[in-house]
Amino acid sequence: MKKYIIAALLATVATPVLADFPERPIQIIVPYGAGGGTDLSVRLLAESFERNVEGTTIVVRNQPGGGGAVGTSAALFSRADGYTLGSGAQGPLAIKPHIGGTDYQLENVNYIGLFARSLQLLVACKDAPFTDFDSFISYSATKKPQVGNSGAGGANHISIEAFSKVAGIEVENIPYGGSSDARTACIGGHIDAMVASPAEALAQSEAGNMTPLFIMEPERISLFPDTPTAVEKGIDFTWSSWKGLVAPVGIPEENLAFLRESLKKAVADEEFNKKMTELGAFVVYEDAETFKARVESDSETAKAVITDLGMLGMNK
Amino acid sequence: MDYITYLAPLFQVEVLWTIALGTLGGLIIGALPGLTATMGVALLIPLTFSMTPIMGINMLIGIYIGGIYGGCVSAILLRTPGTPASAATVLDGYPMAQAGEAGKALGMATIASAIGGLFAAVVLATLAPQLASIALEFGAPEYFALALFGLTVIATLSGDLLKGAISGALGILIACVGADPISGVLRYTFGLHGFASGFSFTPALIGLFALSEVFTQMEKLAKGKSKILNVTGRWPSRQDMKDSKSALIRGSIIGTIIGIIPGTGSGTASWISYNDARRSSPTPEKFGTGFAPGIAATESANNAVCAAALIPLLALGIPGDVVTAVLMGGLMIQGLAPGPMLFQNNPEIVVGIFGGTFIATIFMFIFGMALIPVFSRILLIPKRFLAVSIVIFCFIGSFAINLNPVDLYTMVGFGVLGWAMQKFGFSQAALCIALILGPMMEANLRRGLLQTGDDIIAFASGPITILFLVLTIFSICWPMIIKFKNNRKNNNSKEMK
Repeated sequence: MKKYIIAALLATVATPVLADFPERPIQIIVPYGAGGGTDLSVRLLAESFERNVEGTTIVVRNQPGGGGAVGTSAALFSRADGYTLGSGAQGPLAIKPHIGGTDYQLENVNYIGLFARSLQLLVACKDAPFTDFDSFISYSATKKPQVGNSGAGGANHISIEAFSKVAGIEVENIPYGGSSDARTACIGGHIDAMVASPAEALAQSEAGNMTPLFIMEPERISLFPDTPTAVEKGIDFTWSSWKGLVAPVGIPEENLAFLRESLKKAVADEEFNKKMTELGAFVVYEDAETFKARVESDSETAKAVITDLGMLGMNK
Repeated sequence: MDYITYLAPLFQVEVLWTIALGTLGGLIIGALPGLTATMGVALLIPLTFSMTPIMGINMLIGIYIGGIYGGCVSAILLRTPGTPASAATVLDGYPMAQAGEAGKALGMATIASAIGGLFAAVVLATLAPQLASIALEFGAPEYFALALFGLTVIATLSGDLLKGAISGALGILIACVGADPISGVLRYTFGLHGFASGFSFTPALIGLFALSEVFTQMEKLAKGKSKILNVTGRWPSRQDMKDSKSALIRGSIIGTIIGIIPGTGSGTASWISYNDARRSSPTPEKFGTGFAPGIAATESANNAVCAAALIPLLALGIPGDVVTAVLMGGLMIQGLAPGPMLFQNNPEIVVGIFGGTFIATIFMFIFGMALIPVFSRILLIPKRFLAVSIVIFCFIGSFAINLNPVDLYTMVGFGVLGWAMQKFGFSQAALCIALILGPMMEANLRRGLLQTGDDIIAFASGPITILFLVLTIFSICWPMIIKFKNNRKNNNSKEMK
């Protein structure tokens, strides 16, 4: 009997050493509503995480509002113990702080890693007066093409403005309340062009509702072998959106290392890659350093564009 | 298309079982304030990963259909719209329940939901690709004109036109809080980041209708005027059905048309349908006092929207509302991109979804009818206990949606506002309509003017725009014409004497 008691006592003493982190569920805050692209990919990641890293439970929590600023702020200012992470998205991290209405800056961000990029295409909409890159550029010399975006100061507003700046053209931005509203207007021929993801552009261009103009990557992609890049047309412009994991500054070193290592494992999962590809995301792993450099570079580009648009510090 | 072979996979036990489970789950989610159909679908998508596409997608559609229907339960019994779609059902459903006809009100809502749902499902199965192209005709000016037409509901809805107009204008002003839809500048947030997206809609509705009612009930309780309600009955009387016939038919058609137009949603459809039923009724004065056709109009319309919103989604790859946008994510994870190609590449999926929509609607009817006695027993709980639980639900429901404490302030603020409005005879419904349609009207007016370079003539030149603008004028003038006619009739009869 004594033996058992000692064993039990030893076990209770020993447990914290054996399973120090994580000993309870890890929470990932998604700063958008349930069911959107970011939400679905984080849920897929959570599933892969649980499968590949033994003993972890992930809880995905949606906290939408303020274009992602509310949830991002909640994640970045949560208790720095590694149990609360945030899904780091381009809008709230690289763009929003320049416009204002956020209570965080990039120095409040602790990078875990990047797990996917969303490639971007500029597409001509139904009945647009141009059908390829060259005719788009020459049309814009005579008249401002109307380009739909998912909201003023949103990622694809900034990206098309950044492109226009490099290409030396001007466009008329037509803001919509989200990308699906903009897509509806595009398929209906109410705007001339919009920024789209390869997945939505593929289905719609097969049906003849959208025509890809160029891809915002350094090289052509296999899904659209005939669509040029801006770079090969002599315009030094690339842009993509991304999804990563971020955390508050100051979480314990070993927990941070564990999280970074685990994310790498989860991203390598085959099932995860398959589902993400079907969603139209481009799975790629970037470690904390590379991810940080990417966010900072995008933030620089966005700041310049936002300053030109007169939106710098607009909502301070 | 070879319908029979495509439909066969639907009638396997596990598929039927999954659809039934989804519908029942949706019904309960919809009935609980603060849990919306959108949330139900989004949270259960991961469950469908391991299912076949037919099984998974139809389970999600079951949740959608059950969820939109379920919203009427709490709207009728507790004056708490479970989803924005059933806010209009409060108008006649709650007074009916208070008059001891809760079972009948729920029965009417269930029958209306089933009729609206089946009507739209037939349209979906027969005319989807043809009708979907109508959706594409809607640009900014068309949406503006539709929203403007919708706002005229206020004129007929509120007994006192001036007070109704004041409520409506207040609603539009409240809807201005948050980021400007065109420039993104924050308006009237007073530096509070939590209001950057404006007031959240569902917490506002919960406060406006439910919390305000608790305040009113508390006043009555303090005066000792409470009584135990009668909750028996399930089937509406033959007279009710006869009165509701035209409301059901028109509601189903209105719901289907509004459902096809992306970005409008079931909230808009049920208000427009309610207004239409009231205007075309021989006894418009009975609406709002607990009149069965009022429920028939709103519930047939909002469930017709469910199936109709699948039309642009499947045929064009355009989601008509938030739930269908989430459904689209669910389809894409299964490797199926909705759009014209889906009909050619995967007809078995398309037909399977058509069939699933019918089956889910039938399950919804069966479960709804079976659960009426269970649901209505809620009203047997003494008022003072019920009031406390409703307050708890108001708070949990408002917080659960976005996990944002700001939403609780919103809910309480709207609760006080709603109570004051009720006390001084201002229409809460008018405020609610303005909250739904105000932002749609503003964003599309400004977007359209941006596109036409501030040319108002070019803006208002499309045939659909003109149609809705004419309907708007007609709708405003109609009550005056009626009044004029009545006056003349009275004068004539006086002269005859």
